[in-house]
Amino acid sequence: MTPLLLLAALAAPPDLAGPWRAALALEGGSLPFTMVVETSDGEVRGRLCNADSCDGFSAIVSRGDSVIFEMADYAAVIRATWSGDSLVGSYSNVGNRGPRVIPFHASRGNWPVAPTPANLAGTWDATFVSGARTSPRVLVFQDAANGMQGTIVSSTGDYGVFSGHGTADSFTLAHFDGSFVYLVTGALDGDTLRGVFHAGLRTRTPFTAVRSTGKPHLQESTSLTVADTTAPFAFSFPEASGGLVSSTDPQFCNKVVLVDIFGTWCPTCHGAAPVLVQLWNDYHDRGLEIVGLAYEVSGDTAIDGALVRRYREKFAIPFPLLLAGVNLVEETAATLPQLRGFTSYPTSVFIGRDGRVRLVYAGFHGPVTGAMHERQVREYRSIIERLLEE
Amino acid sequence: MMRFRKRFITIFTTLLAAAPSFLLAQGTTVAAERSAWTEWLATAPTSPYLAVAQQPIGPGVTMGPDSADVPLHGVELHRVTASGTVSLTGPTGRRALPRGRAVRLGRYMLVAGGPAGRAVVTVFDSSHARGAPAFYDIDPAASYTGRLQPPDAPSTTRLLAPDGVEVEAALAGTVAVPVADSTIRLTVMRIPDPGSGEATLEIYFRDATSGQGSYPAGRFVELVPQADGRYRLDFNRARNPFCAYSSAYACPVPWRGNALPVALEVGERYVPIK
Repeated sequence: MTPLLLLAALAAPPDLAGPWRAALALEGGSLPFTMVVETSDGEVRGRLCNADSCDGFSAIVSRGDSVIFEMADYAAVIRATWSGDSLVGSYSNVGNRGPRVIPFHASRGNWPVAPTPANLAGTWDATFVSGARTSPRVLVFQDAANGMQGTIVSSTGDYGVFSGHGTADSFTLAHFDGSFVYLVTGALDGDTLRGVFHAGLRTRTPFTAVRSTGKPHLQESTSLTVADTTAPFAFSFPEASGGLVSSTDPQFCNKVVLVDIFGTWCPTCHGAAPVLVQLWNDYHDRGLEIVGLAYEVSGDTAIDGALVRRYREKFAIPFPLLLAGVNLVEETAATLPQLRGFTSYPTSVFIGRDGRVRLVYAGFHGPVTGAMHERQVREYRSIIERLLEE
Repeated sequence: MMRFRKRFITIFTTLLAAAPSFLLAQGTTVAAERSAWTEWLATAPTSPYLAVAQQPIGPGVTMGPDSADVPLHGVELHRVTASGTVSLTGPTGRRALPRGRAVRLGRYMLVAGGPAGRAVVTVFDSSHARGAPAFYDIDPAASYTGRLQPPDAPSTTRLLAPDGVEVEAALAGTVAVPVADSTIRLTVMRIPDPGSGEATLEIYFRDATSGQGSYPAGRFVELVPQADGRYRLDFNRARNPFCAYSSAYACPVPWRGNALPVALEVGERYVPIK
């Protein structure tokens, strides 16, 4: 080897490929997650995972001793430098009031897998305390192939897949998808679970929880948003791929219609999409139509259209997806004046063959919520079958 | 006037001896935050340095020609109105101005914010000159960890966030800060961030450097939650309200009682606007 080649070999950065046990060092605790990097034909790709729920990085740039993991959809980035065979740096994202920075480090390999302690597994009715305000939540802990996983459920859906570990009477679970930074820790104190939920860098919400008794702890999803049923439900928005689609179009005439109010940015909507596709496959021949109303981040037709088309391809969605507006609750409510109390994405509006709204479900319980998910899917099927019979 | 940092060194001797590596990491984090902040100010299309107007929308704000409420070079007449939602109407029609989202208008960016009935629109000019922030040296001894004393009774108040936009803030309590031979209690407010749905615990304070090296109206510093239920108050993280970067912004008035009679030569300095 010539001296020049030897120098080049010495200067080459280590290979990024493989799994990485990564963590954000919140001052309230370490937030663990996994990164998986693959290289082929000189191209580097990677994804960020909570248990088996993963999101791809938009780009990975390796230059000299620095590596940049980009998450363009969230204006977020992880900047790291090599420290031996580890990566050390920071994660930052940008909000309206400037950037946020959290220290980051990663080592090769996977996080150790340990079973979920039996005295923590199951469902817990929690009360979150923020100043003088309290809010009901349900905590779901279960044992999975990757160890302990779970989620937090509000009246309008879950916070995504959390993964982590439990030891005897305490646990740490985290969810980090590039945008949402969630860490929940807790410990048993007799029969009561006491803990803290960290959202982002600065928001700390203490909670207490007791084992669910089966009595409803959250508000019913069908009681949050109500519709004006004195007239047929009306919508008219452009399709992501072109023309205007309206509730009065022949394709919706005398059909049962499920209107899915969603956004491509919304993880819970991603959890609902395969269910909606399955419902369409099962009931379309009998008279079910589904239409997705997308409320996106930018409000720019070109940008939002591309995101919605990518969403359609990802989930092989066979029904129309319309560009309805931007993803702010008040903006969405303004475009659908027949709904009162619109509160969350996704929201499912069930419409009978006469065009009038029969039921509105606010939010969605994803697969990680277990029995809550199964119950919601059962109820969707039951409503659709009943409406098809009308 | 005494220098506050000396008192900190006395009080936190135990902490310094027990966790030097932690304090080093803390200093690194503050340095990374400053670097990201400086880069954002230098590159973001909505950098506070680029703000040329922040206008209450009220019954409507006109923009564009010289006769408009907000003259904008090369922009035809547009009107910003707010009735629950904020919208921008111009020669090509109407479009939404979602709160907290930047919308382009010629070489300008518009961002709406604020509660219904008191919404404001901030205008950023991409051709405006940018300044650069300046900071005092990082002093690990200016970091304090303690408990937040909850208020006797819950209350909320309307105040201006660092970006000059009005928010409904909740009284979160007070923290005790050692000064000379006693302590001073600083008021902490929970300030919502409409963009993220999160809220930060903020202290807006003045000290003997206000107008003498740091921004005259005061500086914000956040409380950072720790694993043990306490909070870190690191004055190295003190930063200016956006009105320090551009006179277009409304400036928060100092919070009653949050005045420290010592010079806190840490955190962000003030570089007067040219």
